[in-house]
Amino acid sequence: MVNLEINDLSMRYEKKYILEDLRLNVEHGELLVLLGESGCGKTTLIKIIAGIIEPEKGKIIMEDEDITLFSPQRRKMGYVPQAQVLFPHMTVKSNISFGLKSHKKSKEEIKEKIRWVAELIQIEELLERYSSEISGGQKQRVALARAMAIEPHMLLLDEPLSSIDATGRESLALTIRRIQKETETTTIYVTHNQEEARLISDRVAVIYDGKVQQIGKVTEIDNSPKNYLIAKIMGSPNVWPIFYIKETDENTILNTTVGEIKLPKQTNKKITGISISPSCFKPSLEKKSRTDLEKSQFIEFKGEVKSMVQRDERTIRAVIELEGEKFDYAKIDVDKEDFEDILSSDQKIFLYVDTSEVNIL
Amino acid sequence: MTFPSFSLKKRIGTKDEVLNKVIIATASLVIVLFFLLFFYVPLTKILKFSFIEQGKITLEYFSDVINSPMNRSALIFSFYQAFLSTIICLVIGIPASYFLAKYEFRGKKVLINLLTIPFVLPPIVVLLGFIITYDANGWVNTIWQTISGSNNPLINIFGSIEGILIAHIFYNISVIIRITIPAWENIDYDLIDVAKTLGTSKWRRFRKIIFPQIFNHIVSASLLVFIYAFNSFAIVLYLGQVRFQTLEVRIYKEMVRSLDFQSGTALAVIQLIINTLIIVFYLVSEKRTRRMAMGKEKSLKKEKINFRKYSTGKKLVVFISIIYMISLFIFTFAPILAIIIESFKPAVESVSSFWGYGQLFSTEYNSYLHSAPLRMLLNTLWFASLNMIITILISLSLLFIIRNRFQRLRKYKTSRVEGMISYLILLPMATSSITLAVGLFLQFRTFSWYNNAVWVFIILAHVLISVPFATRSILASYNRIDVELLNVASTLGASRLRIFAKIELPLILKGLIVGGIFSFAISLGEFGATNFLVKTEYGTLSVGIYNLFGSHTLQLPAAMASILILITILCFIMIQKIGDIDLKV
Repeated sequence: MVNLEINDLSMRYEKKYILEDLRLNVEHGELLVLLGESGCGKTTLIKIIAGIIEPEKGKIIMEDEDITLFSPQRRKMGYVPQAQVLFPHMTVKSNISFGLKSHKKSKEEIKEKIRWVAELIQIEELLERYSSEISGGQKQRVALARAMAIEPHMLLLDEPLSSIDATGRESLALTIRRIQKETETTTIYVTHNQEEARLISDRVAVIYDGKVQQIGKVTEIDNSPKNYLIAKIMGSPNVWPIFYIKETDENTILNTTVGEIKLPKQTNKKITGISISPSCFKPSLEKKSRTDLEKSQFIEFKGEVKSMVQRDERTIRAVIELEGEKFDYAKIDVDKEDFEDILSSDQKIFLYVDTSEVNIL
Repeated sequence: MTFPSFSLKKRIGTKDEVLNKVIIATASLVIVLFFLLFFYVPLTKILKFSFIEQGKITLEYFSDVINSPMNRSALIFSFYQAFLSTIICLVIGIPASYFLAKYEFRGKKVLINLLTIPFVLPPIVVLLGFIITYDANGWVNTIWQTISGSNNPLINIFGSIEGILIAHIFYNISVIIRITIPAWENIDYDLIDVAKTLGTSKWRRFRKIIFPQIFNHIVSASLLVFIYAFNSFAIVLYLGQVRFQTLEVRIYKEMVRSLDFQSGTALAVIQLIINTLIIVFYLVSEKRTRRMAMGKEKSLKKEKINFRKYSTGKKLVVFISIIYMISLFIFTFAPILAIIIESFKPAVESVSSFWGYGQLFSTEYNSYLHSAPLRMLLNTLWFASLNMIITILISLSLLFIIRNRFQRLRKYKTSRVEGMISYLILLPMATSSITLAVGLFLQFRTFSWYNNAVWVFIILAHVLISVPFATRSILASYNRIDVELLNVASTLGASRLRIFAKIELPLILKGLIVGGIFSFAISLGEFGATNFLVKTEYGTLSVGIYNLFGSHTLQLPAAMASILILITILCFIMIQKIGDIDLKV
């Protein structure tokens, strides 16, 4: 169990910064998910931690030891790359023993370790096969076993589920989590898929623009995303950016992709976008007049129903195409009993949201 | 407060990294020394002979050379016959490659491989096969005279352009076929279907979709055939007689027969410039071909030949195609078969069928050959083996330098090494065999030990000829290795040497063996450089066969050629078993 501290890490590729003064702390024994969109530099970061790429600037400190200049051989990191790369000319067993032999372990020890890791990752029956004779999911398990066999200080996983079919994903993700917990290995898990982060992470670090923008537990980030982009990366529904802001004496008027939204005066923070929880929309088939809307401020959206999916026994989630120049969609949760018979595809609908329910990002 | 910036630049040197540096330094030293000593310094000698007169730079030799009608016509003829050979090869080869790509039948792979054999045959063997097949008394003319009742031969291969063209076609048709088969196979048929749905006419579909996809392959293949035909030596030397000469033949004659080193080297420089241009052009086209070939999944639908299903028109087309392929097959194998039969055919009745093979052990022909045929066979095998070993060592050294590029990739910097190496071997690649030999000869002839060490220079010339081929074969398999494999291996704690031994080497082994055997085969049949450098007892079988062309019976040279054929085919089978042969330079 180790901890890792990354300080002011920078890396350029053809003059463009991929990582810029990045800081990150990974705590003892945790599984940290690096979440970001394709090309945000998360693979570069994991390769730098593995020692495969040398950073231009910055420090990597593992358990108070500066390992920035260490070769990958010396770091003892369990690296599992994105593509399922097993040594094609070796059996699964030889793949696993490769690292052990590199570390000059005795024959008995190697045998013992192979047995241990094969059992841990449940690949006992694959040991004599070649890479070409096993499935994608199995290859990834072997790659994991190969990395774990040397009992690495840390486990570095680069999109481990990306090339595996949907049915195998969850099971592999949970296997990774189980192994990580059982062996108490500090793990960095790179992905662009927030669902994976929700499934297995201790903490999530959201990366874009070459920096870690927000780090914390999934629920923490969900509850208070620092800005619009983070909410979007986290996969929150109904997140819209803001073009510009008008201030009047009493109100803040936000110009968003879904129209102007007039809110009570906002002063507390920099506004980057808004989000509205799916359950806060009040649908109506007819336009409501001012008087219907009681006293509080409501925002009105107009749109067409595009799809309906049952969420649970009581609620239906409907996707509404909002009226406007761009195709923007709102996801709303409505009560099944009230709306099942009323809503149908392509139906015109009005949505009302209490301004107090609009989350400012 | 801040750390000095250089502290980051310098990685902590481990034993592994020091060792790696030593290996790279050694490899670089070997490569640089080898090419400097045996190629670049000799090349400057050639330049010195052709540009410098009494210590002053002059272009006089060049103007002399260009003003000489003999040389000028050689230059023109080199282009002319290379151009014709290329066009005819395309016309004959492309339909054949389409047939082979489109139809699936038993023994197809074997057929493709068999059609490739001429390419690896020694030129002298091809020449002998042609003489036996197409000579005035050869098979073709005898059959023709019997059928037509005429007394005139159908083909005259001596002193005519036909002979040269037929030989070049025989040699190079496999280049066209092998390179364009994948072109047909790789055509993305989804695109054609899309075009159909867009209502495109058949002709427009061909012009805009099919043709662009095969065009680059055709250009690559054509440039290769052109360069082989342009530098043709043995075939033109013998069949062209005095009338037709390529630059390569002129260089040889100026150097050896007229001892006019100035004109010879000036011609060599002109030839080198032309070759370099063509090769650069070729490499550019190759790169484009490879880029286009990427990312295609769906390819030509293969069809089994099934006459019952076809309409009458289609039956006819397929039938004609089959006749066409059979003719091509006969054209390819007649000369080879002719040599083998000739080796058992005594000139006079009192002699046994095995006389030719028996003569291998005699010294009867020493006045022609300067040594016994058996000695020539041993020389041939010895040179080929040494050539193979040296070539592999040099290719491996190149590989050791190239693999180090990952050090730069680590820092996201593009590697300059690979570019430098491709330039380093570009020039030897563009240098004709005779020019390589001329350089070595001019550079080292003044040493007192030169005459005794002629065999060393023959091998060195062979190495210079083989290295580009071998290196390409090895690099091609090296570049197929996934870099992530090496990354993973390093995170697993494997030293650089261990990564090489346990991962890279096993994965390139096939390429290495193919490259090695290929260089063995090249050396086996090399004629131009060997014939130029050869002295006394160091002759090879090719040189021996050539010297026996004038003798009263072709049984002995046919026996010697049959042995070469046998060994070449063995090499070829081995290459085929192990991997794919790369005909490309």
